[in-house]
Amino acid sequence: MKRKLIAAVGVAGMMAGVAACGNGGDDKGSSDANGNKTVTVWVMDGSAPKAWLDEVNKEFEAKHPNTKVKVEIQQWKGIQEKVTTALSENTPPDVIELGNTQTAGYAVTGGLADLTGDKAKLGADAWQKGMLASAEVDGKLYSAPWYAANRVVVYDKKAFEKAGVTPPKTRDEWLAGLDKLKASDPATQPIYLPGQSWYVLAGFIWDEGGDLAVKDGGKWKGQLATPQAASAMEFYKKLQAYSTAPKDKDEATPQQSTDIVPKGGVASWIGLGWEAQGALKALKEAGKEGDFGYFPIPGKTADKPGSVFLGGSNLAVAERSKNKDLAKEWLALAAGKDQMTKYAAATEGALLPNQQAANFSAAAGSFAESMAKAAANGRITPVTAGWANVETEPNPIKEYMTKVLKGEDAAKAGEAADKEIASRINK
Amino acid sequence: MSQQQTLRPRKPLRPLAVVKNLGALLLAAVFVFPVYWMFSSALKPSGEILTKDPVFLFTPTLDNFGTATGVEMFWTYVQNSLVVTVGAVLLALAVALAAGFALARMTFKGRKGLVLAVMMAQMAPWEVMVIAMYMIARDAEMLNSIALLTVIYFVMVLPFTIWTLRGFIAAVPATLEEAAQIDGCTRGQAFRKVIFPLLAPGLMSTSLFGFITAWNEFAMVLILNKDKAAQTLPLWLTQFQTAFGNDWGATMAASSLFAVPVLVVFVFLQRKAVGGMTAGAVKG
Amino acid sequence: MTVHSQGAATSAPQDAPPPSAGPGSPPPRPSGSARPSPRGGRKSLPSGWLPYALVAPAVLSIAGLLLYPLGKNVLLSFQQVNKIELIQRKAPFIGLDNYTGLLGDAKFWTVVVRSFAFTAVNVALIMLLGSLIGILLNRLGKKMRLVLSMALVMAWAMPIVASVTVFQWLFDEQFGVANWVMRTLGFSGYDQHNWFETGFSTMVIIMILLVWGSVPFVALNMYAGLTTVGAELYEAAKMDGANGWQTFWKIVFPNLRPFFLVTTFLEVIWIFKAFTQVYAMRAGGPDRASETLPVFAYIEGQSQQHYGLAAAISVLTILMLVVVMSFYFRLILKQEDEQ
Repeated sequence: MKRKLIAAVGVAGMMAGVAACGNGGDDKGSSDANGNKTVTVWVMDGSAPKAWLDEVNKEFEAKHPNTKVKVEIQQWKGIQEKVTTALSENTPPDVIELGNTQTAGYAVTGGLADLTGDKAKLGADAWQKGMLASAEVDGKLYSAPWYAANRVVVYDKKAFEKAGVTPPKTRDEWLAGLDKLKASDPATQPIYLPGQSWYVLAGFIWDEGGDLAVKDGGKWKGQLATPQAASAMEFYKKLQAYSTAPKDKDEATPQQSTDIVPKGGVASWIGLGWEAQGALKALKEAGKEGDFGYFPIPGKTADKPGSVFLGGSNLAVAERSKNKDLAKEWLALAAGKDQMTKYAAATEGALLPNQQAANFSAAAGSFAESMAKAAANGRITPVTAGWANVETEPNPIKEYMTKVLKGEDAAKAGEAADKEIASRINK
Repeated sequence: MSQQQTLRPRKPLRPLAVVKNLGALLLAAVFVFPVYWMFSSALKPSGEILTKDPVFLFTPTLDNFGTATGVEMFWTYVQNSLVVTVGAVLLALAVALAAGFALARMTFKGRKGLVLAVMMAQMAPWEVMVIAMYMIARDAEMLNSIALLTVIYFVMVLPFTIWTLRGFIAAVPATLEEAAQIDGCTRGQAFRKVIFPLLAPGLMSTSLFGFITAWNEFAMVLILNKDKAAQTLPLWLTQFQTAFGNDWGATMAASSLFAVPVLVVFVFLQRKAVGGMTAGAVKG
Repeated sequence: MTVHSQGAATSAPQDAPPPSAGPGSPPPRPSGSARPSPRGGRKSLPSGWLPYALVAPAVLSIAGLLLYPLGKNVLLSFQQVNKIELIQRKAPFIGLDNYTGLLGDAKFWTVVVRSFAFTAVNVALIMLLGSLIGILLNRLGKKMRLVLSMALVMAWAMPIVASVTVFQWLFDEQFGVANWVMRTLGFSGYDQHNWFETGFSTMVIIMILLVWGSVPFVALNMYAGLTTVGAELYEAAKMDGANGWQTFWKIVFPNLRPFFLVTTFLEVIWIFKAFTQVYAMRAGGPDRASETLPVFAYIEGQSQQHYGLAAAISVLTILMLVVVMSFYFRLILKQEDEQ
């Protein structure tokens, strides 16, 4: 009697559990005995607001009875190896979020499903051309662009006001403003810029007409030993001189937004939308009030802002997925206009959705407004399978920057970096 | 006890004793400082963890521990970690005890080769073998298996356990065993009633080694068990460092909690684990 | 992952009876407690199969779960297995390409030399400091001994991930306690001193971390070993008029020779294989100047997803380690014969 009761309660509890959170437990296969299917989705930590994901899944499950969506949040640590091995398994996750600089590297492995034939279903016509570039290899589509983001200059309004500085439009104005800030408060860094913010440097190189790497007769080669890179680095060095940030670290160690800015003493810094939000939150926790203004990284001339790296993510379907059609359906829904509009709103414009029509109408003076302005000049890293290898630590671009900042000749440091880039990118 | 006392100098020179004790205190401080820093950072409010001048006085908060243990599936990780660790240790003890006895007490063909193999097995490059192991597990459809993880950890700690226990068994005078057998015990009984109790320290200290190794393992479980339901605590430790800001307070709180079982196991075992792992070897 | 510095158990901090083994072994159990068996009195060596039956489980598990993957790893080192091949489950043989590439790479040899030098310095320091602290433990009063051994145990129980993070903080350029201490002591130039400026300074900090984490194991075991050296030996030495130094070399060292042998062997393996501490500190930087062999294998192999190459590096590493350690194997096997 008692045992039966326990069993009954157990079964009821299990069913409630499954129904409540759509967590199919160990049901990793395509479908269980009752024909119920589970679509597993991997998203990176911090990519999608939970409420938005829940809503997408609710809509999806309503449309596809007997199907559950299982979202698994992935940590960045060790992710490359994890994704590579997952794609080799018999029951990989059905949908995977991939960084836009890494997508090409996975597309050539055969691990991602070819989505070229599904373009219409996915609404590919509406996608931003700039974001589409990272999702395609040799004219074939391997993923749906999801979101993108670029950096802008975040500044402390009070510090700028005190020094009488207004957002600059050109590099010269920018430097002049930093001088004024330095004069007005010597204890404050006019700008916090660590020595290895290589995405920022990439923008400067593009401004000079250079690039990180180019294809030359079937082979890729690094471009850091070029005069363009040297003058970009020269400007970076000038900027970095205003900062006491370490020359051998990037913006994430320590985390500029949450570990540095909230402590005060920083008049401006270059960051992403979520970094600005994180800094505001950390300031609030510390009992301070943050009042940030934003402006695009100034260009060489006033007519257009500086080039910026357009970071972001794509959503791909695993080739070995047992639920490819359902996975594509989920992709179409999540990356479609309606949900992308909600997505943009949920992130308050900190992330650009994959299509113009879904853009969040950013308030004047907001981060999103500056970001959208700068995004017009957005670029991505070379789209080739080998690029992902260049980015892994120890990143030769970062080593190059530290060397030049410490006084080494730019051409010499560039040659060493190019050699390393060439050996990695062509593998 | 009495032996300890006789070891000390008869008439301690006062200044020497002071130097000794001061030196010991200083050393204790040096060794404990990073540990203290971990615990105190776990108790600090987020703004006071990384500061230009270190903060020594602060109002402690348990928020970080709340964040650390509030993670989804936390208790599943705890359960898996315990199952895997305890399972690996017990298996290793059982298998090593048998092998250790044979190696220490019996002569048989291939014995020396086996001793050498056990010694070399300790040099196994497990970190690099992750991919080979993964390919085997994948092709055998054994991914996301707690059982496989348990046996892998078992083999990781086995060579060391055999080696150490062998030393302990060898250190028990064979005459004891013979005496027991003369008194009518079978060889099995002699082992159970005479040798086994004397091995307590060895068993304890090797368990602790196995416990720590299995408890800390990260690379294998990361690649083999992608299903959260089959993951362990070391993966939980890294959750608080994300691209969107490192929650140092939670990381340190999690690390502190993670260290506690090892400390508990040590304190629990310390009275028995007297000999230390090399005691067997010391007595050759 | 056999985590370095978290070796086997250690001795008890408190006064306790010496290890069961040794001259002062406890008396045999009263034999009356054992029921005489029908085969009583038979004390011949076991029949031929018993030792094999006893070692069989161990041999089988090591063969199945260590030798088999190890063999697969060796096989991998002759194959081209990158990201693409792994996902497509292919593994074309490329002969010795992985090896020839490595052996002809000056970077590889730099790392080899650095690894061995680093290991030698570390192990020497660990053994020296560990032994000294072990001797100190033996000389301390009960309370101080408890204090010091608890401190050692806590350092030893700290998760490696946490200890690396804390050490990074201690030596951080902007928020480091080390810089604060230097400033407080009145040294100038430590407002933002970069402790990781060069490969050498980075290696020194990693060394401090490794020594800090490894000394407890040696010290506590040394202490345990010392308690097994019979008091009468000290007495005899004293009567012969030996001073502390002579006592150590004449009495303690010969008695503890097996201890030094085994511990040094373990420390060499653990330090040589230490990965987390070295990689997490600066990812082998600055400019790859703090890479040791395991870090090199990880960077060239795993993180670039060249698994065949990583396997080749690991095979070469083991071969070199075996050659270097062969001296040790011989010593230990000799000890085996003497038993």
